[in-house]
Amino acid sequence: MNDERDFSDERLNAFVDNQLGAEDCEEILAAVATNVELGQRLCALRSAKELVRHAYGNVPAARRRLNRQVPVWGGALAASVALIVGVLAGWLGHHATTSVKPPGLSAAWAGGVFATEPARILIHLDSAKAEQMDAALDLAEAYLAKVGSAQVEIIANHRGLDLLRARTTPYAGRIAELKVHHARVGFVACGQTMARLQRVGEDVTLVPEAAVTRTAIEHVAERVQEGWTYLKI
Amino acid sequence: MKWLQSREQRELVEQIKASRVRLYRLAFAWCHDTVLADDLAQETLARGLSRLEQLRDSARLMSWLFAILNRCWIDHLRGRRNDLDDDALAELPSDLPGPDGHAERQQTVNRVRAAIAELPLGQRQVVTLVDLEDFSYAEVAEILSIPIGTVMSRLCRARASLRELLAEPAMAPRRLRSVR
Repeated sequence: MNDERDFSDERLNAFVDNQLGAEDCEEILAAVATNVELGQRLCALRSAKELVRHAYGNVPAARRRLNRQVPVWGGALAASVALIVGVLAGWLGHHATTSVKPPGLSAAWAGGVFATEPARILIHLDSAKAEQMDAALDLAEAYLAKVGSAQVEIIANHRGLDLLRARTTPYAGRIAELKVHHARVGFVACGQTMARLQRVGEDVTLVPEAAVTRTAIEHVAERVQEGWTYLKI
Repeated sequence: MKWLQSREQRELVEQIKASRVRLYRLAFAWCHDTVLADDLAQETLARGLSRLEQLRDSARLMSWLFAILNRCWIDHLRGRRNDLDDDALAELPSDLPGPDGHAERQQTVNRVRAAIAELPLGQRQVVTLVDLEDFSYAEVAEILSIPIGTVMSRLCRARASLRELLAEPAMAPRRLRSVR
């Protein structure tokens, strides 16, 4: 038997990782009984695998970025903006039709959200860039103006929290006006982001229209679960 | 709204929420940066939640999420180096920080993390997906969009390198760098 050919490292790795069929496993197990060197190689591979598991069994706690200056994921951002443009173009332009399918949304989503039931839209803002704050508020305003029964929420975290902080928001008046005219609009701040800012001495007093949730990502998950449409600016 | 309110949908959202720890752990194993790993996990969750309707098979949720994580990671790397094609990315040498050298009780952990940090990116991804997440070779191939033969060869090279690196008694002085 040619061990180099039949018991290559790739095959032994596959054995260690449970990627071989029963027949192959039996062949290797039978060979190990008489081949000490093979046993040692398997032992070394298992050991490497266990060490990697051990090394990342407890990883350091996540540290959140307080000042995300430049979006790392340009593609995702562009896609989000494109999605919103698509929603606005498709939805505002064809509100009367029930079969509208805005670009970027599946038929399932479109059928549910854009049919007869009131739309429930969750807009996620995590940037303090003026154009992105504008986009979030523009979208909320346009939606509410078009569909009086719509429920719209803006959830802000990371630097996007600046939109809802009394000391930093350039849009306090606009937010107040939206709330006066639309009872079903909501503004929600991420409690985790607020706590982090407080720890470094920042004033996190919010505009009076804002509520606080524990974490933004959990809030998003819950809203999606409830059937809201999620849009990230 | 029926689709969104189905039991399957609710379970998927719960699974996505619960996957954050796993996503963060793997992202940390790839980048060894707690802030970046958190960003990558967060972005993966956001992308996953916003694109849930694109998931064809709910049984493959985790491999789908890890594929998104891989995409986020590549986007991040390409954001730093826009001249990289896929092959260059896979062979990208490490510029990762080493582990904390002063915690003696963490010595083994630190040595293994230092060795992982030495691996080229493609090998680092494969070995962590297999060892930490127990993905099959076929799943890893799908997550990373590479042939299964490449998964196997990278895994072989990764484990061989780890064995050599961990056998070096004097690896510490060169590789112990400050932790970010």
